[in-house]
Amino acid sequence: MSAAAAARAPWLSRFITSEHPLPWLLPAAALMTVFGIYPLVSAFISTLYRKNAATRKLVFDPDYNWVKVFGDERMWNALMNTLIYTGVALVFQLALGMLIALLLDSDRKGYGFMRALMTLPLVIPPAVTAMMFLMMLNGSFGVIAQGIIWTGLLPDNFSILGNASTALPGVLLAEIWQWTPFMVLIMLAGLRSLPKEPFEAAAIDGATNVQAFFKLTLPMMSKVIAIAVLIRGIDLLRAFDYVKVMTDSGPGTATETLTSYSGRIYFGNADFPYASTIALLTLILVIITSTFFMKAFKVKL
Amino acid sequence: MELSRPMQILRDLTAAVVTALFMFPVFWWALTSIKPISAVFNKDKVVWFDFTPTLINYAVTLFGRSRSQMAIDEGLGMGVAGAEAYDSRQTIVDSIIVSVGATTVTILVAVFAAYALSRMRFKGRESYLNWVLGQRFMPPIAILVPLVTIYSGLGMRDIQNIYLGYIGLMLIYALMNLPIALLLMKSFFDDIPKDVDEAAMIDGATRWQSFSKVVLPMVRGGVAASAVLCFVFSWTEFLLSLFLTTDIRTVPVKIQTFVTSTGNEWGFIAALGTAAMIPSFIFILLVQRHLVRGLTLGSLKE
Repeated sequence: MSAAAAARAPWLSRFITSEHPLPWLLPAAALMTVFGIYPLVSAFISTLYRKNAATRKLVFDPDYNWVKVFGDERMWNALMNTLIYTGVALVFQLALGMLIALLLDSDRKGYGFMRALMTLPLVIPPAVTAMMFLMMLNGSFGVIAQGIIWTGLLPDNFSILGNASTALPGVLLAEIWQWTPFMVLIMLAGLRSLPKEPFEAAAIDGATNVQAFFKLTLPMMSKVIAIAVLIRGIDLLRAFDYVKVMTDSGPGTATETLTSYSGRIYFGNADFPYASTIALLTLILVIITSTFFMKAFKVKL
Repeated sequence: MELSRPMQILRDLTAAVVTALFMFPVFWWALTSIKPISAVFNKDKVVWFDFTPTLINYAVTLFGRSRSQMAIDEGLGMGVAGAEAYDSRQTIVDSIIVSVGATTVTILVAVFAAYALSRMRFKGRESYLNWVLGQRFMPPIAILVPLVTIYSGLGMRDIQNIYLGYIGLMLIYALMNLPIALLLMKSFFDDIPKDVDEAAMIDGATRWQSFSKVVLPMVRGGVAASAVLCFVFSWTEFLLSLFLTTDIRTVPVKIQTFVTSTGNEWGFIAALGTAAMIPSFIFILLVQRHLVRGLTLGSLKE
């Protein structure tokens, strides 16, 4: 602040540089209010209106959308897909992440380089990753699809993403590929922070590596694992990019998640109140599951 | 742990194979980006290495060479339409403007709040932290519809005013990145003993001076790490950019337009995609030491 400005408004400069926390907190609070709370509240208010499909007028009808959403089979399908998507991705990312972290946890030459390479998937835009996998899963010229077809598991020219039973696994492949490195990095950090003594003692007592892993490593890593699951879980429940780009929720509604269903209504028949209802439902789901998780596993971010 | 020599070799090999497996999609992507149009465009088989490498895809996407001229030069009749649609120079400029702007706003706003939350004791501190964390839980799509309405009303859509359009996207990205930057910065401030501020203030420094002259310089690494994460998340964001903007096309949205009715331009998609991951990969390697802390919102320290 310039001297002139300070002279003009001495109370202002004194306030800004004071012990009071308000000036420090205000900019962030303003951003979160104007662009977070206010739109969120307007979104909620909009769900209290019913959109008349014929006249396109909004009619006040407070419980219309909320009653409709719980009777909407497509919503239940989207919810199931969201939960399956989240569950499967978490299990694979956690298991692979732990295994790869154990593998790469070494000070030998070359391991540092491999760990650095592992961060590469994290910086690729998910929408670009989705395009990349769209190409690689193409039934006629996709390198992954051709590889699977070559093993005889799938028939010739099989469209993985175009088939209701294989579309979700196809989308999950991209998701798991991109975010397993996230788990690897976190698990590596956890492994490196473990104390050495218990492992030395266990080795003297004749414990095998496998025993040491289950009796020592896993329990000591439980907090790290819980944090990783929580952060990843929040993002997975809001999954949008891969589904939108790779299958656009299809075929039919086979890969439709809550957020992609909301986006589809938004783009489709422009029933904004209903699109917001489903989006808010996703928010409620995220808050409930993560609060429950934090309480159950006693983790705090 | 000590391994016997054959076991150690086996482990090295497994580690190398697993890393290679994870790098394969990126490798394939980069390989596709240097294939000529004839080797990828609507091809019905996998082409491995039997092609003449070319930079044609980069010339079209990054340097604005005409797609149709390229096709004619290669002696191809197909896909000779849509010359400018693949020129992504403006897209890269847009992405840089929005990402750098959003990062600047986020860091400016987050660093003050993080300092206060780390240093000062006041009523509502816990609630404020929960509010920040709650912000992280919010699916962007939940605020999308009202946001479009608000922006339209204020004339802030990019179709109404391009400059306000940039600012609108920056601010909403700043909001999305705020929780991670704020909680990460707070964890860095928490690492510095309070005695440091108190000593400075006993020596006559004001709160502001002890913050700006003493504590802030000590957390430079943390600021850098937060900035890089904000940049990467802005650079890779898709949903908000897709719905909020029309004229401003960031890279992840622009790349979707290469899916055309005559066929997907995989070469261009690969070239732009490969080019787009280089800047963020370099940045992330620079702050690798703090990466885990950043990804876990400051809760795990390396």
